[in-house]
Amino acid sequence: MMQNLEINFKQIDKIKKITKEEKNFRIKNLESFKASGFPNKRQEDWKFTDFKSIVDSNFKELDAQRVSSNINKIDLLKNFEHNYVLLVNGNLHSSNFDYEEKSKIRINNYDKSIDYEISKNPLICLNHALAENGYSLEIDKNYKFKKVLVIYNLFTKDIKNKILNNKNKIKINENSELHVIEYTINESKSKFINNVYENIILEKNSKFKNLFMQNNKSDGFFHKFIKNKLSLNADISNLIFSSGLKFNKIDIECDLVEENSKCNILSALFLKKNEHQEIKTLVNHLAPNCKSNQKIKKVLSSGSKGVYQGKIYVKDIAQKTDAYQLSKALLLDDNAEFNSKPELEIYADDVKCSHGSSSGNIDQDSLYYLMTRGLSRKDSSKLLIKGFLNEVIEFIKNPSIKKFIETNLEYQINEY
Amino acid sequence: MLEIKNLQASINNKTILKGLNLTIKPGELHAIMGPNGSGKSTLANVLSGKSGYEISGDVNYEGKSLKKVSVEERAQRGIFLAFQYPLEIPGVNTNNFLKTSLNSIRKSKGKKELDTLTFLKLVKEKASELGINEKILSRQLNVGFSGGEKKKNEILQMKILDPNLSILDETDSGLDIDALKTIASGVNSSRDSKKSFLVITHYQRLLEYIKPDFVHVLSNGKIIKTGCGELAEELEKTGYQKLN
Ligand SMILES: Nc1ncnc2c1ncn2[C@@H]1O[C@H](COP(=O)(O)OP(=O)(O)OP(=O)(O)O)[C@@H](O)[C@H]1O
Ligand SMILES: [Mg+2]
Repeated sequence: MMQNLEINFKQIDKIKKITKEEKNFRIKNLESFKASGFPNKRQEDWKFTDFKSIVDSNFKELDAQRVSSNINKIDLLKNFEHNYVLLVNGNLHSSNFDYEEKSKIRINNYDKSIDYEISKNPLICLNHALAENGYSLEIDKNYKFKKVLVIYNLFTKDIKNKILNNKNKIKINENSELHVIEYTINESKSKFINNVYENIILEKNSKFKNLFMQNNKSDGFFHKFIKNKLSLNADISNLIFSSGLKFNKIDIECDLVEENSKCNILSALFLKKNEHQEIKTLVNHLAPNCKSNQKIKKVLSSGSKGVYQGKIYVKDIAQKTDAYQLSKALLLDDNAEFNSKPELEIYADDVKCSHGSSSGNIDQDSLYYLMTRGLSRKDSSKLLIKGFLNEVIEFIKNPSIKKFIETNLEYQINEY
Repeated sequence: MLEIKNLQASINNKTILKGLNLTIKPGELHAIMGPNGSGKSTLANVLSGKSGYEISGDVNYEGKSLKKVSVEERAQRGIFLAFQYPLEIPGVNTNNFLKTSLNSIRKSKGKKELDTLTFLKLVKEKASELGINEKILSRQLNVGFSGGEKKKNEILQMKILDPNLSILDETDSGLDIDALKTIASGVNSSRDSKKSFLVITHYQRLLEYIKPDFVHVLSNGKIIKTGCGELAEELEKTGYQKLN
């Protein structure tokens, strides 16, 4: 049992330059977290995962003190030209926007706003109580990024038993466009928790692509909540390719607040032994003529677990909603587990909504067909696995980024 | 090349092949005809090494028993099956698959793998020989291919992999008359004194273009009659009923 999560109100006292309102906000959230503790299956949002017992069995102690880690340099990706932001253990370390008009871009340490409601998710409360760092990025209106922005999310060796709470914000103003690759690099060989709250605001006619990938396996436990808010004609795509982590939950809430906004949530994952990957979504259609599309594909090998909880909510005024949701799992073994809970809650009558979920094994006839062409069983399986995930990868239009993701996934699959 | 002695095969407690004998020598082309459900595809599957069948009897290929030889090893040793119903494999690029397949087979023979450029040249050549629109080769394997395109793709694979024993399971079904001719000439140009063929068909028409050395009638799991090209013509007129 874990007893030593060192959080107390004193810790909040240590935060420098804190207003009374902020302090109250933090204390309120801390109390809320303390009342429930880490989430377990009794919480709706954690239906398939007892995070509390995962924490208990992996940590004897947890330290929520801020870490300031120093690094010398990192190896930047050479696969394509890009701007970058470097985060070290969640802290904003440095940034480079040499490909862009710098006057259009503002990047700062995390945003101190406290206008968040108390969440039912204890990890969000914990974040609100303790987060002291992260980044805040704002793009002026009428500016389209020329190159992709890579956010290097580096975790250093010295974060054993830490729980890092970070808060990020991206705001894209009218008619602007940004493409981000969040690239997690794990140097830590020991266990830690990273708990992130991300706030993404898309103003009128803006476009945002957000792609998640990591470079290697890690013993990190990752929880990330992303709140997206889209105005008129705004368009967001989330592409999730990050596996190889002990625990990874991405919780995306997307509010389509104004007409003609679009939300894509796509994922292609390959999970191995002792890996847990969870995607939870809530797409709120709050205005007419909005479109959402979710496609989650997971390949689960022996001893891995995948979860998809996806909900589409359509408000009464949100006529002509077009909402689609599909999750598919390919189980390579009887010891793999996939849980899926698709949900629709619809109050408008003129809508097009569909959802589906399926899980199955590799098709034996397809395997046989490929083997009659001289491929070994293993190579045939790998080809079918790649084929299964390909549908999502096809969504990436930039050839060098696509190649980069493909190579990375292939590398994971080849280890199978 | 191939020697089958008293082959019996059953699946799900149903005996399908009931003591089948067949010998194919190098350079020979044998045709098998027979009513629906007589076991033609089953024979093809068993020869390819498909699992799930309970098998007795002997099958020797190039002088060695195939009993414990896996599907992929049979393919690597030069047995090729053109499927009656080629499978659609979503997400797998056709060219990519063809290259992987050819290189697996080359590797098993200790040959150097082909690089992409050399490979694409080879495919281009073979595809145009068979009147295949190259565009379909950059699509997903058989997905959305027309019936005829699927069959042509099977023969393209045969041409690329260059097997010793080709088993064609109703490759002619569903082909238009021009496609039938190109496929027949594709088969004919592969024939030589070392390569053997087992061609399963319902139609004598194909055998006008591909001249068989022998024609067999398979009925109820057994070969009940063997003859030369004329047997096919005779069957075309009389049907299978009279043979029993
Ligand atoms: N897996 C199986 N389980 C049970 N019965 C099977 C199975 N596979 C084939 N059969 C049966 O075995 C018989 C022979 O099938 P097969 O496909 O070999 O026939 P065929 O000669 O190729 O017919 P066609 O000319 O229609 O292609 C059929 O009656 C079929 O229903
Ligand atoms: Mg058949």
